[in-house]
This record gives sequence, structure tokens and C-alpha cells, in this order.
Amino acid sequence: MNESLTSEIHNTFKNTKCSIIGDNRLLIKTENEVIAALLKFLKDKNFNRLAMVSCVDWIKRETFEIIYIVASFCIENPLNIIIKTEISRKKPEINTIIDIFENAEPYEREIHELFGVNVIGHPRLIPLLLEREYKIPPLRKDFDMRKYSKELFDSIPFIGDKK
Amino acid sequence: MRELELYFGPQHMGMVGNFSITLSVEGDKILKATSNPGYLHRGFEKLMEYRTWIQNFPLVCRINVIEPDSMEMVYAMAVEKLNKIEVPERANFIRSVYLELARVGSHLFGLWAYSNMLGFDTAAQWAMYHRDLILDLFEELTGARVYHIYINPGGVRRDFPKGFKEKIVKTLHSIGGCVPDYNDVFFNNRVFYERASGIGKLSQGDAIKYGAVGQTLNATGISSDIRKIEPYAAYDKVDFNIPVRENGDAHSRILIVRDEMIESVHMIFKLLDQMPEGEVWNRTPNPFKWNIPEGETYVRVESSRGELGLYMVSDGGDKPYRVHFKTPSYNNGLVILEKLLKGANIADVGNIMISLYIIAPEIDR
Repeated sequence: MNESLTSEIHNTFKNTKCSIIGDNRLLIKTENEVIAALLKFLKDKNFNRLAMVSCVDWIKRETFEIIYIVASFCIENPLNIIIKTEISRKKPEINTIIDIFENAEPYEREIHELFGVNVIGHPRLIPLLLEREYKIPPLRKDFDMRKYSKELFDSIPFIGDKK
Repeated sequence: MRELELYFGPQHMGMVGNFSITLSVEGDKILKATSNPGYLHRGFEKLMEYRTWIQNFPLVCRINVIEPDSMEMVYAMAVEKLNKIEVPERANFIRSVYLELARVGSHLFGLWAYSNMLGFDTAAQWAMYHRDLILDLFEELTGARVYHIYINPGGVRRDFPKGFKEKIVKTLHSIGGCVPDYNDVFFNNRVFYERASGIGKLSQGDAIKYGAVGQTLNATGISSDIRKIEPYAAYDKVDFNIPVRENGDAHSRILIVRDEMIESVHMIFKLLDQMPEGEVWNRTPNPFKWNIPEGETYVRVESSRGELGLYMVSDGGDKPYRVHFKTPSYNNGLVILEKLLKGANIADVGNIMISLYIIAPEIDR
């Protein structure tokens, strides 16, 4: 089943690379433009469960990697498909996939909040988890956690006798 | 009638805490609900990028307070997959027994929250007492009651102590012996039936559309369980059923919790019977000099609330490059809860939320 699926993906979508990593994991590398079409194609092939949308900051390569993981609701089908695409780190933008998978909504909000990736077409990009605004979104690799906490907590006035 | 905005939680009698919902109401009816997580956001995914592979275990289990064991399992599995570590047969069985005990404990906690919310104090106190018996078992096995840090990459931290098998059997018999009492007091009670049936009804199509997991999915008639789809630990060596119900409402979801608990107890007995002798840990490298080869993996386990996944990336260093947990409450709490609350009554908010089995620290991470 895997071979026919990968050859069909290769034929339908250009510039797409499929490889098998481990048991029941299919990795597809593709371009940002075809993500919606690819997800729709997989949804029609019964991969109708979006497990997660994630993002990795590859600061050395100056790119963000957006990851979509889809699976099936069918109990006989253990295949998970990991779809990867790279976007520029300078102007990070992706298109929303809510019209294909409705449960992508909080994941895209989280990516927007923690990585500063702009999601075009998202109905509500309001804060999800964080309390305040950050100059650099906190899950980017250039956000220095130790420096931030030092600045935040050392700016509080000290109460009591200083030794 | 006038439309009002109402803040429900995080400090509310009908909730289990750390999570709030903003409701737009007209009279008693909810027009719109917005989940509002983040009260327990500790940035674990960022913190984990600063710590070595072994140092992350105490963080991982704190993501879920009720059932930290499946979190340990999924993290250990990801490390094993990336570094290609084999696990001894006996350790696989111990892991399964341990995870099933955790499932029973977690379900008892869920039962406590639900029956307490409905006002069934007796059943709630029993459930809490029985959970305590399971925590006693964990204390003897691991030295800790809540955060056990027992599963290690390559196996488990130590073997069962002497006479521990008999203790598990004795404890589970005393809990299982109370199932008829639970049925009399709670599950067959007319008040429970009237309060729960038809509440928070999710159709099968909607469950697929919104990506439901766990009891929420199984209650709509779809049988789904990672232990069957992709067996890990020793689940392929033992036969068990997946409880499925058709109605998709709070009543079905809570009954599935009960059925899963009974199924887990039976499974533990079977696992203990088949458990082989042997080693429990394959030695892993020195944790201070442990570099894991470059790569990525997505692993998943069935926690007590549904599919729990972990996407982990290593860049060849001694720390993870990126970790992202796909937690079951995330989907249920942020997507399905909002849809189910639309059109419900204010009195049913706690009922729907707790029947979806939402645990806030899991959403926030």
C-alpha cells in the first residue's frame, strides 16, 4: 500500500520527496505552495485525522520547518504521514489549513504565538498560552531564556536589607 | 433578552482548575464559548531544549499531573527510537503493568472529578480512596506517589520488589470487588442518567471532523486505540477489548471510563501471569556524554485520555533540538469543548467539560 501511495504522490506533486523513517512513518518533503493540495489529497485517501501542526527553528539554515502529521481513524491503518515544508525565517508566512482540517486552529495559533509565523487566513490569531508580548517569540532559538529571566526578575525592586 | 459575557473559571466550583472559559450567554443559554488556557504554561518545550536527555525526565512527567506515566513512556520511546535502543522483554511487561495501573488511577481520579461535580460525594470519596491504594503501590515500586520517574530509556529503573505481584493482585481485587457498589451508587443511579444522557452530544461525523481522541471518540461508535493500532510495550502479547458506545454523550463517555478501568484490571492479571524473568534494563551510555544521532521521530501511546504523541528532533547533540507534545486534552479542550458548549445551558458547562476529561496542564505544557 505504501509503494502505490508514494508513487502516486510523486506523480501528482512535483518537487516532492517521500522516504520511510522507521516503522509506519512516511516522511514527505514538499514546497509550501502545495501543502493544501497535498493535505486534501491525503484526506481523500482516508488520512483524515490531523495529529499535529508543529514548527522547528533551524537558525543556522535561516529557515522555519513547518510539520503536519496526519493519520487515519481506521484501526487497521497504523501509517502516520509527516509532511515537512520549509519557509524563510525573514518573512515567515503560511496559509491556514482550517478549511481542510478544522482542528488545526489552535495549533496554528500556537505557532503564530510561539514562533511568530504569520498564518494567512486564520480567523482569530489571538494569544493562546502566553501572558505578555515578547520582542522575540519565545520558542525561536535566538530567544535567550536565561537572559530574559534575569532581566525580568532583576527589574523587580528588592525588598529588605541588601547584604 | 440581554447578551452577557461570563467568565467561567479558573477558580470555579464546577471545574477541576487552571482553565477558564469565556461564555457569551443570553439568559441561561450559551451563544458562544471561548476556551482560555495558559494559566499553567511553564514553557516545558523550551526548557527541555536546555537540558540533557536524562535530565528531561523530571520535566516530562510534570506535564500531566494526573497520569505522568504515559508521558514518561512516550518520551522514553522517542529516545529509544532515535538511538535504536532495545528494551528487554521483562521490562516491556513491567512497563505495561505500570501504565495500566496508572490508567486505573487516572480513571479513578476522573471519576472523582465527575461524580463530585454532579454531587455524588459518596462515589467521589470512594474513587479517591481507591486511587490512593494505587498510589501506595506506586510508592512501594518507585519511591514516589505522584511523579514516579520510573521508566528509563532501555527499560525501567528497577525490578519489582519481593511480593509485589501479590500486592498488585490483592489491591486490584479489593478495587474490583467494589465495582457493584459503584454501579449501585453511581452508574445505575437515575440522577446520573438524567443529568448525563444527551448532554454534550457529539455525532460520529463531528468527532472525525474535529479530530476527537480517547473516550470522546470511542463514545461515538468508532473503535480506536493506539495499543491495538500500533502496539508498544507488551500490548501485542495480551488480548483485550476496546469499550465502544454509540451515543456520543456525557453518559457514554463516563461509562467508557468505567469499562476501560475494568478492562485494564483484567489486562494486568493477564500480564502478570505471562511475565517472563530476566533483565529489566539495557545499559545506556553515560548520561553526561550521551549524544543522540541526528534525526526525527513521531511516537504515540494511548494515555488514559486518548492518543498522546511526541514529535522529537535531534541535531546530534546531547540535548533535544525540539520537542512537541500532541496531548489528548489539547484537541478536546480547545476545539471540541467550544463546539459542544454552543447552545448548551450554563448548568451543563462543568458536566460537558469534565466528561471530555480535560486536564489543563496538558494543554498548556
